Amino acid sequence: MKSDAAAHVPGTPRRGAFGSLATHAVLIGVSLVMVYPLLWMIASSLKPDSEIFNSASIFPAHPNLSAYARGWYGLKVSFGKFFTNSAVIAVLAVIGNVMSCSLAAYAFARLRFRGRNFWFAIMLGTLMLPYHVTLIPQYVLFLNLGWVDTFLPLVVPKFLAADAFFIFLMVQFFRGIPRELDEAAIMDGCGPWRIYWKIMLPLAVPALATAAVFSFIWTWDDFFAPLIYLNDMESYTFQVGLRTFVDSSGQSDWSGLFAMSVVGLVPIFVMFIFFQRLLIDGIATTGMKR
Amino acid sequence: MTLAVRESAPATSRRIARKVLGHDAGAYLFLAPWLIGIFVLTVGPALGSLYLSFTRFDLITEPRFVGLANYTRIFTNDAKFLAAMKVTFTYVLLAVPLKLIFALSVAIVLNKGLRGLTVYRALFYLPSLLGGSVAIAVLWRKIFAKDGLFNDVLSTFGIDGVSWIGDPDYALYTLVVLSIWQFGSPMIIFLAGLRQIPQDLYEAASLDGASKRRQFWKITLPLLTPIIFFNAIIQTIEAFKAFTPAFIISEGTGGPVNSTLFYTLYLFQEAFSYFRMGYASALAWILLVIIACFTAVSFISARYWVHYEE
Amino acid sequence: MASVELRNIKKRFGDVEIIHNLDLRVEPGEFTVFVGPSGCGKSTLLRMIAGLEEITAGDMKIDGQLMNDVAAASRGIAMVFQSYALYPHMNVFKNMAFALETARFPKAEIEQRVRRAAQILQIEHLLQRKPKQLSGGQRQRVAIGRAIVRNPRIFLFDEPLSNLDAELRVQMRVEIAKLHRDLGTTMIYVTHDQVEAMTMADKIVVLRAGRIEQVGTPLALYNEPANQFVAGFIGNPKMNLLKAELADAGPGRALVNVAGKPIDVPRQLVEQHRGAVTFGIRPEHMELGGAGLTLGPARVQVVEQLGGETLIYAELADGQPLTLQMQGQKRVLPGETVEASFDPAQCHLFLPEGRSLC
Repeated sequence: MKSDAAAHVPGTPRRGAFGSLATHAVLIGVSLVMVYPLLWMIASSLKPDSEIFNSASIFPAHPNLSAYARGWYGLKVSFGKFFTNSAVIAVLAVIGNVMSCSLAAYAFARLRFRGRNFWFAIMLGTLMLPYHVTLIPQYVLFLNLGWVDTFLPLVVPKFLAADAFFIFLMVQFFRGIPRELDEAAIMDGCGPWRIYWKIMLPLAVPALATAAVFSFIWTWDDFFAPLIYLNDMESYTFQVGLRTFVDSSGQSDWSGLFAMSVVGLVPIFVMFIFFQRLLIDGIATTGMKR
Repeated sequence: MTLAVRESAPATSRRIARKVLGHDAGAYLFLAPWLIGIFVLTVGPALGSLYLSFTRFDLITEPRFVGLANYTRIFTNDAKFLAAMKVTFTYVLLAVPLKLIFALSVAIVLNKGLRGLTVYRALFYLPSLLGGSVAIAVLWRKIFAKDGLFNDVLSTFGIDGVSWIGDPDYALYTLVVLSIWQFGSPMIIFLAGLRQIPQDLYEAASLDGASKRRQFWKITLPLLTPIIFFNAIIQTIEAFKAFTPAFIISEGTGGPVNSTLFYTLYLFQEAFSYFRMGYASALAWILLVIIACFTAVSFISARYWVHYEE
Repeated sequence: MASVELRNIKKRFGDVEIIHNLDLRVEPGEFTVFVGPSGCGKSTLLRMIAGLEEITAGDMKIDGQLMNDVAAASRGIAMVFQSYALYPHMNVFKNMAFALETARFPKAEIEQRVRRAAQILQIEHLLQRKPKQLSGGQRQRVAIGRAIVRNPRIFLFDEPLSNLDAELRVQMRVEIAKLHRDLGTTMIYVTHDQVEAMTMADKIVVLRAGRIEQVGTPLALYNEPANQFVAGFIGNPKMNLLKAELADAGPGRALVNVAGKPIDVPRQLVEQHRGAVTFGIRPEHMELGGAGLTLGPARVQVVEQLGGETLIYAELADGQPLTLQMQGQKRVLPGETVEASFDPAQCHLFLPEGRSLC
């Protein structure tokens, strides 16, 4: 009874127990529809193929993990390799984004310099720019540098703050840090680098973490860039590996395909479990797209 | 006195000049990675692709200038371009409004202060987070296959479904459903927006005798228009850029019968299957112009329907 | 102990000049308060001394050394901010040690200086706490402690008490005054609260719209305000300022008509003037009944009983408002008519442009 009152938002008239029960019923229904496909995928990865198509049930009759073993070695390069590749790229992307974007964001948020408004406008403009416009010359550039079939085209842009979105996110956050702290630090003898390093970064940990988590997820999920730049199977990311698996054996081994799909979602799911609060707050405050 | 003034004036300007210069150099050092990126990865390539769009270029031989030939062909003699436009616009015009309406409805229900809000919010958000993955596209392909989950469910109602992804009449709509399924992130933004509306407005309105329905139309919706606008812009741009699901579902072909030939997929084919880089660049610039026009029109229209404080 | 000298100081933000050719000297060891309404430029002036704002024109010297170009941290100045500006991610010790660490002091000396400052301020038991675990008064102390450890030549305070509740404000006021006595360091203190200015300052600088209105000791400002603005700003409740006519003046006396009453003011005018003037008398210099001169009957509008004193807001015969401050509890009701008397030696006369006439 007490907790009911606590959950009640002041000002909204109380509905009857029946109204709230009905709402819950609808929401649970929606939740079920939302989550059912995921559960079905997990269940299917545990079923033999013959069972997948005969039932929509999410409870396998004879659950076993053989599909995982089959899928893992389903291509001539194992998914372990793809997984490692994706992890390496994603971790490097996180480091690159957090470093380069926070540097730029600090300059935009705190330093006074000529041309600041101009560059800031350019930065906002790139938020809207579809990457297709830069795609082909970038490809030519990386091709001529001999970077195709390496991770460099996927990682180097992150170190050059190519994801302007994170700059924007951090600028917003830095602006919320009281300017008097910078001034106190100036009085304490700090230059801009020490302020950035000793004051701004420690205080911006929530924003940096949000950027890091989203960087990781987006890089992990990225399909287009690895599809273009990685042709050698040894260098495939998990997403590209999964796609190849679809083409090669997807028709014959559904449970193997589902098993690998589940594995590919695990890192994101883990992020979701651990950083749910951060992700949701990040979206709520900055309006992120995914 | 006059002497002192004459002495101090140039000294002051020199001091200030040095200070400002010092400041600038320091700031540009912070900005350096981004600045290099903007020139090498954005501005340079963008101009490059503008140039390439007037050439024929296959990556191996030098680009050959062909004037407006690419654009002429795109607009007068390219059935696939028309198909891609039709598919993309159908997708944008269906998926975005439906997704936003769904997101807003759920947000309003969740904002009533029910118990378990955080659980629901997390559950609804999960698909948004996973949705960009190839795995989800794979899953979708299997759900809407002839013998997939969807038809299994239908068969319990005695309906015998077709292969939804194999049928040119339906394939695109499975992708619209996939997009709506990922309504979580606009929903979270709507929820945050609803929380921003001061409760005393509703209290004042109910004292004035306004019904719940009237409060929604006269308070909630107008005050939420900036957020609706924001979500609409972001989601539309994202929808124009959609690639992965169409690629996976059609195995990169855009089929059946070009029914899932998203604009970006067509661009990808031209560039990386047929190596018509000049032609693909022209397609890219047309996409940019479409998105820019759309954004400009939205911002102009926003003056008439978006309610801003102050 | 250090002196501060400002000569011809100007500050411009873009096209807007907000400090106009300002001259001021702060003596070594002096407690100087900048006071004025918001937007008068007092904080900007302090920030220019600190080195947080560039000086557009003019010279700023500390102990005779030109400081315009010297970085904030090298000026030998410490500043206490309005919001305290404690680093939220560092504990109290780290907050106080930060400047010394930045200047690469040896660990032992940092330790010793922080301990000593903590001792002075009685915050030794708080050294391991984070700022958010402290009360407002404790944060204030840490902010001051952070200033002390640097052994500055000059302390700057930017409205440091405005975030505290009334009781704590009085307490901290006393402590800062005591700190000044103990350390003997030059201090410059910015506030918009004239009570703080009156109680703490050796010297008050009253600012308005980027100019100095008057510089002097608290009592000099109270007794001999140089102009109508200072007269109205210093003292609470505000001095009564009434429209009047200067009819005649001779050596050591002036005859003015206020609200239809002729008043003989026994003061020497500094210049010749006839006609419209402003007549000033402080509410606390009036009493009910009494033998002095009066401004005629006044109709009581509002009465505020404060226990120890009574404030009466009344209206004179010609409709001009008059405030009276009485010691103790007076039985007066709205609607009644009172007649208040005063000692004409305590009157002030101001020219229409504001300058004091006596």
